[in-house]
Amino acid sequence: MKFSHSICALFTLLSCSTFAANDTQSLPVCPTTSHQLSHNDTFGVQYQLSGAQHGTLQLLRSQAQTAYYNPENGVAEWWNFAIADHPSFIRVFAKHQRRIDYYTGDLRTLNIKVSQAEMESFATAQLLKQLSHKGPATCDGSQVYEGDVKQMHYRVIWSDELGLPLELSITHNGQTKQWQAQKLIPANEVELTLSRWQQFSDTDYADIGDNETDPFLAQMINQGFVEHSEHAVYDSKGKPMHGEHIH
Amino acid sequence: MKTLPHVLAALTAAVATALVSQTANAAVLPDYQTQSGWFTAGADAVAAKVAQVRNTAGAKNVILFVGDGMGVSTLTAARIYQGQAAGNTGEENRLSFETFPYSALAKTYSVNQQTPDSAPTMTAMITGVKTEDGMLSVSADSIRGNCLSSKGNELKTTLELAENLGKSTGIISTARLTHATPAATYAHSPERNWEADSDMTTEAINNGCHDIAYQMVMDAPGDGLEVALGGGRSYFLPNTVTDGEGSRGRRADGNDLTAKWSENFSNAAYVWNQEQFDAIDTANVDHLLGLFQGSHMQYEADRADDVGGEPSLAEMTSKAIDLLAKNDQGYFLMVEGGRIDHAHHAGNASRALQDTVALSDAVQAAMDKVDLSDTLIIVTADHSHTFTIAGYPARGNPILGLVHAPEDEAIAAAPTRAGDGMPYTTLGYANGPGAKNGARADLTAVDTTDVEFLQQAQVPMSSETHAAEDVAIYATGPGAYLFQGSVEQNVIFHVINQAAALGGTKY
Ligand SMILES: [Zn+2]
Repeated sequence: MKFSHSICALFTLLSCSTFAANDTQSLPVCPTTSHQLSHNDTFGVQYQLSGAQHGTLQLLRSQAQTAYYNPENGVAEWWNFAIADHPSFIRVFAKHQRRIDYYTGDLRTLNIKVSQAEMESFATAQLLKQLSHKGPATCDGSQVYEGDVKQMHYRVIWSDELGLPLELSITHNGQTKQWQAQKLIPANEVELTLSRWQQFSDTDYADIGDNETDPFLAQMINQGFVEHSEHAVYDSKGKPMHGEHIH
Repeated sequence: MKTLPHVLAALTAAVATALVSQTANAAVLPDYQTQSGWFTAGADAVAAKVAQVRNTAGAKNVILFVGDGMGVSTLTAARIYQGQAAGNTGEENRLSFETFPYSALAKTYSVNQQTPDSAPTMTAMITGVKTEDGMLSVSADSIRGNCLSSKGNELKTTLELAENLGKSTGIISTARLTHATPAATYAHSPERNWEADSDMTTEAINNGCHDIAYQMVMDAPGDGLEVALGGGRSYFLPNTVTDGEGSRGRRADGNDLTAKWSENFSNAAYVWNQEQFDAIDTANVDHLLGLFQGSHMQYEADRADDVGGEPSLAEMTSKAIDLLAKNDQGYFLMVEGGRIDHAHHAGNASRALQDTVALSDAVQAAMDKVDLSDTLIIVTADHSHTFTIAGYPARGNPILGLVHAPEDEAIAAAPTRAGDGMPYTTLGYANGPGAKNGARADLTAVDTTDVEFLQQAQVPMSSETHAAEDVAIYATGPGAYLFQGSVEQNVIFHVINQAAALGGTKY
């Protein structure tokens, strides 16, 4: 269980660009019963990050696929758990219309280990078990959880219907970051986005080193669009990042 | 006078002169020197060299092994790795092909690059001509990525010459069969990335260039390849198909080339997993296509965990030889350890070394099958990597471990520390994903022998790069003696051509 990986992944996405402050105090979206959404449906949720950091992140779900997309910089991290023990991972660079595909072996060489449940739950499935249940929240079928884990204070409003948080706030050293669900993204929009990404020119991660003459890949190799050093999803010891590395 | 009975036993009348110098040395050297294990072993090695008779006969069969990215430092580290895995100190170990009698160094630069990629290097080995980076078996008169410019510049390959002579031919790779090294044996393309039609430009399609997978099956030389085993299944399947391991086809032209294989060739079989591979009876199959992964096959370290199951490089080599050897005219077989390169690019030495040992095992499997009196075996690499074996670790220090100096009394507890106060590993890279901006990490409490560990690197890059120094060539069998000294990489073609009388030129 490496729940922290996906939180790091979210911050990796966010670190790719800067964001304008957004001071609107949006309320969490209550998924309407007319949607009858279930865990396995195709849908998306757009989250707004406020507090110590700002940004937008879309979580897109379709069957065994989960993608996190930052619409501001066009970078997405797209997981496919169709074969659960052998996930594949795609980094999408929408502005370049390019993809880097990582197969299970590539993920292993980079020591990237994730759990499907964590990816699908906005990295909170494991977290919930460590927090205290505080009772129902305002939206139907949603619950409030709160507690401290590794010197961080977490507050989660969890939607049982979506299997996702409607709100996640993390307080550390007096600074709070708050993710809030802003809107639901309909299935057709999710499918359109995923099929558009599917058409992008793709390169296996294993092959980027042999394609240094491709300008886009050369930039990736030399300037590190793919993880290395401080922005890595693993640390300098080759170990996956843990919660305490969130900063 | 000290005699060395085990040396004498090894000598024949032909080595009398060597014996003279041996005994002369013994007369002036003290016993503790001449009876040293190092001394006697060294003498044995020289005696064996003296006794060796050049095999100048023709080579009926040729097997060319290519370790992609298998530089000299990789060989040294893999040799130690294998030796330590067997419970020994490691340094004294030899990879299977390090016992071959002949070797040379090959210069790997391409027509336009000091440090090459696999396309021009394999082109040099397989056609006798160096070309530019990214190009497969077309001359440097072509422009990379331009189909029209490559027309009329196609270079005949060893594999094509062998087919023309009625020999059987085969290719094996743990990478995609459409990847540069295997592709250069059968395809001609000014762009190594044209692996499926969907990867090609409009110019290329309009000017009649065919993608690499298509060339393998539809434009096959002679009566077609007899053996093709490796990865890259997606490149042979239509994009409307999702295969048994969940990967989607990439062909836009609707061709199922795995089906075409069975249609085009006689007694043909197509397999995609271990079970089907194991079930193939080579006595009844004359054209075997095995595609075990959508893209590259698994690293050796991960092979056991594959969804459909994958044969090892040694298993593929062994089965291929059984099939190819049915032809009385002989055969040409190319075997690539394709993922050594990828593990290095990822900065992951453990996987690179395990794949190098897998290549060594494949060479051993070949040696166990063939008659070396009529079969030339060559083992080489296309290029090197920025991989180093550094520091002054004690003899037997774990090759993937931190450097512990031999004089260190608490050898297990206290690693050698560098100028920044931090320990360091024996293995490292000049650049790559293991580099860090800022201070080096403290590895004191880290298990650097873990298969997932990324070696430290100096220059931060997402992908570690190739390196430009020479690579080794090892050879045994008829014509192997032609490998001597330092050669250009394209000389490999000419040795094969000479030894096997492929008719590419007269000598
Ligand atoms: Zn490479």
